[in-house]
Amino acid sequence: MYKFAHISDCHIGANRDPVLKNLEFTAFSKALDVCVREKVDFILITGDLFHANIPDMEMANEAVKKMKEVTDKGIPIYVIYGSHDYSPNQTSMVDILDSAGLIKKIVKGKIVDGKLKLEFTVDPKTGAKLVGISARKAGLEKNYFEILDRESLEKEQGFKIFAFHSAILELKPEFLAEMEAVPVSLLPRGFDYYAGGHIHQHCETSLPNYPRIVYPGALFAGYPRDFEQSANGVSRGFLIIHFDDKVKAVNLHEVHVCDYLYYEYDASNKNSVQARKELLEELSQIDAQGKVVVVKVKGELSGGRASDISAHEIRNILTENGAIHVIVNRYGLTSKEYTALKVMGDDVATIESRLIKENIGAVHVTNEELKGEKGVKLALEILKVLRQGQKLNESKKDYMERIQKAAIEVLGLGEVFR
Amino acid sequence: MEELVIVGQIVGGKTAKILIREKSGEKIELGDLLVVEEDDALVILQVCDLSYGSQVPQSIRELIAGLKLEGYGTELSFLEPQLRNYVIAEAKAIARVEGKDVRIPKSLPSFFSTLRRVTEKDLSFLTKPPNPVYVGKVRSGSKVLDVDVFLDGVDVFTHHIVIPATTGRGKSNLVKVMLWSILDQPNFGVLVLDPHDEYYGRHGKGLKEHPKAKENLLYYSSTPIAGTNTLIVNLRSIMPWHFQGIVSFTDAQWDAIRRYYNEFHEQWIENIVRGTEIEGVAPRTLEVLQRKLDNVLGVYLDDAGNIQCRNRVFSETAGITTTRDIANALERGKKVIVDTSKLSDEAELLIGSIVASEIFYRYQSYKSEGKLDDKPVVSIVIEEAPRVLGSDVLESLGENIYSIIAREGRKFRIGLIAITQLISLIPKTILANMNTKIILGNEIAVERRAIIDSAAQDLSEDDRTIASLDKGEAIISSSFTKFAVPVQVPLFESYIEGSEKKDREEIVFVG
Repeated sequence: MYKFAHISDCHIGANRDPVLKNLEFTAFSKALDVCVREKVDFILITGDLFHANIPDMEMANEAVKKMKEVTDKGIPIYVIYGSHDYSPNQTSMVDILDSAGLIKKIVKGKIVDGKLKLEFTVDPKTGAKLVGISARKAGLEKNYFEILDRESLEKEQGFKIFAFHSAILELKPEFLAEMEAVPVSLLPRGFDYYAGGHIHQHCETSLPNYPRIVYPGALFAGYPRDFEQSANGVSRGFLIIHFDDKVKAVNLHEVHVCDYLYYEYDASNKNSVQARKELLEELSQIDAQGKVVVVKVKGELSGGRASDISAHEIRNILTENGAIHVIVNRYGLTSKEYTALKVMGDDVATIESRLIKENIGAVHVTNEELKGEKGVKLALEILKVLRQGQKLNESKKDYMERIQKAAIEVLGLGEVFR
Repeated sequence: MEELVIVGQIVGGKTAKILIREKSGEKIELGDLLVVEEDDALVILQVCDLSYGSQVPQSIRELIAGLKLEGYGTELSFLEPQLRNYVIAEAKAIARVEGKDVRIPKSLPSFFSTLRRVTEKDLSFLTKPPNPVYVGKVRSGSKVLDVDVFLDGVDVFTHHIVIPATTGRGKSNLVKVMLWSILDQPNFGVLVLDPHDEYYGRHGKGLKEHPKAKENLLYYSSTPIAGTNTLIVNLRSIMPWHFQGIVSFTDAQWDAIRRYYNEFHEQWIENIVRGTEIEGVAPRTLEVLQRKLDNVLGVYLDDAGNIQCRNRVFSETAGITTTRDIANALERGKKVIVDTSKLSDEAELLIGSIVASEIFYRYQSYKSEGKLDDKPVVSIVIEEAPRVLGSDVLESLGENIYSIIAREGRKFRIGLIAITQLISLIPKTILANMNTKIILGNEIAVERRAIIDSAAQDLSEDDRTIASLDKGEAIISSSFTKFAVPVQVPLFESYIEGSEKKDREEIVFVG
C-alpha cells in the first residue's frame, strides 16, 4: 500500500500582517511535518502554493527551506500552477523551483492538430501516473480543457491521478455560485483520483464516471472569507490518500494553528452613533485571549455613514482583550443615506461604471465638473490611475509620486500644484 | 419585368366566401394568396376551398363519362372545354394594403375583379421587427415566396406561443429554426425542456452548431457530452411547492410534507428518505412518502445508510447551484436546453417546475423593485403541454407553475412555448391567453376545431387548409400579425447551412 498527500491553496505570502504570516507558514510547515511523519510516498500540491507568481521573498525562502527538508527525505513534491502563482511566460516562483529540481510540475504537453495532448508524469516509487491542467487567470484554463485529448488519457492503464485548479460546475458550493467553473464533462473519465484545488473548502464527492473528486480546501487562508469560514468552524488541512491499484482510503488531516472567534453584529435600524456605541461595548466584554477574531458588521444603518463604524476602533478594543489578530468585515454594512446598490454587469469596468452612475446623485457637490456624466467619467479615470500597481524595482516613493502626478493630471489640477 | 398573370376572376360569394373562377391552365391551390388591385389599394385574398364548376348539366357530364369509360366514344370531348368546365375557388379577403398601411378588409373587393398571384413586392409591409424571431418564408399554397417572416420576440414570447400539430409535421424543426434565429440575441432567455434530446444536436445538426453557441447556449444532460453540463440537482434545491400540480399527494401527505419542511427546511427530503420520525406524521404516511419520493426522484437509502439516486439527476452533495446557474443564464439572455430524455415524466416536469419557479419568483420580485424592464424576456419550451396544462391535470392536481405562467407570466415578462398534439385538452381559459399559434398540419378534426376556435384571427373557413398543410407548412395566427400568415418553415439543416461555427482560434499552451 502506498500513500500520497494532497495539499492545495497554501497561498504562501498572502498575509502581510506578521502574526498571520507566522501562522500561514506554521500551517505549511506542520502539514509537511505530518507528511514526513506519515511517510507519504509523494506530495501533490494542486495550485496556489504561493499567493503570487513572484511572492513575498521572506515567506518564499522559509517555504523553500521546508520543502527542501521534505525532498531530502526522498519525498518528491509534484505541483501544478494555481490561478495566483501562474505565469504566462513560465517565470513564476513555481518555475524557478521546478528548474532547481525542488518540485516537479506535472503539466506537460503540446497542442497537436488543435488537440491538447498531455503526458503523464510517473512517480518512480509508486508507479502512480499524474497528469493535469494548471490554472490560468480568470478561469481561462477552460480553453485548455475544451481542446484536451481526453481519449488518450482515458486509455492509459494504471493508477491515475488528474490534478486541476478549477471549480467544477456541478460541485460549486453555494457561496461560490458566481465563480467561473468548468463542467465535469471536460475532465477525462475513469481516473482513480481527481485532485482539485481552487475551492477553499474541503469537499469530496463522486459523479457518474468520476469516482472521486476531492478538494482539500485552503491550508490556512488566502482571503478574508477563509478566515471567516475558519472562525465559523470550517476545518483546514490536507488529505492523505492510501492506494495500491485503487484508492483505499482518503483521510483528512486537520492542521490547527490557532483558535478563532467569530462575532457578528447586525446594525440594522440603528444610526451609526448608536451602532458604534453598542458594538464597542459588546466587544469590550469579549475574551479574545490568544485568538484570531473575525468581526462581521452588517445591516443597514438608519443614519450616518458606514465608515463611522471604525475598523480601527474594533481592532484596538479586541487587541486590548488579548486577540492576536482582528479581521473586520464591513462589506455587508450599508446606510440608508448611502445605500449600496446591486448592479449587474459583464465585467468589473461595467459594474464600476454603473455603481458610480447610480451613486453620484447622492454626493452633494457644487462643482459642475463633478456632477452627472462628467463626474462619472472623472471618477472612472481616477479609479484607473489608482488601480496601477507598483512596478518592479520601483521604490515606494517613486510609485507614490507617479500616481500623484497622474491623478493631478486627470483632475486637471496641474496649475494648482505647479 | 415579370408579367403579372391573371389567374381568376371574382364571380360571386360573400365576405368570408368570395367565389373565384379559375382561369384555365392556372392551378389555384388551397392556401394560395391572390391579389385584387384596386385604385388605391391591394386586397389580398386567401383560398380556403376548391370545387368544380361546369356549364354542362350533371346528368350530361355523367353520361359522357360513362360513354368514354365503357368504350362507346373514346373520341368524345366537350366543345371548348375551358369555357364549360372550370374550378371555383372559395377565398376570403385577409388584408387590405394601402402603402405601408395594412388593415383587415371591411368591404368586398369589386365584383368581377380579376386576380393575380401575390408577389414579393405586394408583401413589402412584412418588415423585420426590432426583436426578430425567424419563422420561415411566406407561402402561397405550396409556392414559397422570397419574403421572410419574423415575429417580434418580446411581444410573442411574453404572450405565449402554442404550436399544435400531429407527429411528423415539423414541430421541433420549427422551434429549432426559431431558437437558432435568436441564439445571439440577449433580449431573450429560453429554457427548453427537451424530452427527446433533439435540440442540442447530440447525434446530428442542432443548436450547438450556432457560431455563438459557446457563449449563449447551455446544455444540461444526465449523460453530458464533453464540454456540456451534468444535469444534477441537489435535493436541497427542491421545495414542497415544486411538486404542486405535478405530483399527486393526499391531504395527509401534504400535511406531512409541510411538517417536514417546517422542521428541517431545505433538508426535508433527506429526512423523509432517512425515515426521521417527527410528531404529527404517522409512520404509515412517512413510508408512503418515502415510496413516492423514490418513484419520482429515484432517491432511496442504501444498506450503508447513504442516500442514493437511481437516475443520478438528484444528489445529496452535488448540484447545489444548478437551479441558480440555469436561472442566471436565462436572466442573461442565454438559451438553456435541459435533456430530460432519460427521466420519467414526473421527474422531467419537476425539474422544469424547479427552474421555472426560480425564474418566475425572481422576476416577480424584480417587478416589485421596478427592475423588470431591464431584464430579458424568458420563454419556456414545454413539449406535450397537456401534461401540465391539460384540463384533467389541472382539475385533479390543481394549478402548477406552468399554468400560473400561462395565466400571469405576461406581467412578469415570462412566457411559454407550448407544443402539443392535443390542443383540445388545454382549457379555453388558458388558450385564450396564448396569443400566437403557429399551426402545422393536423389531420384530427377535433384538434383542428380547437385550433380554429382559439385562433387570433377568424379561421372558421380554414379547416381544409389546416388539414392539407404539408410537413413544414404552417399558418401563424397571432394578435401581433394583421392576418393569419401562411409560412414555409425551412428545414433546419438547410436553414443553418453556411452559418455554422468556424474553427476556433489558435491557443498557446502553458503547462
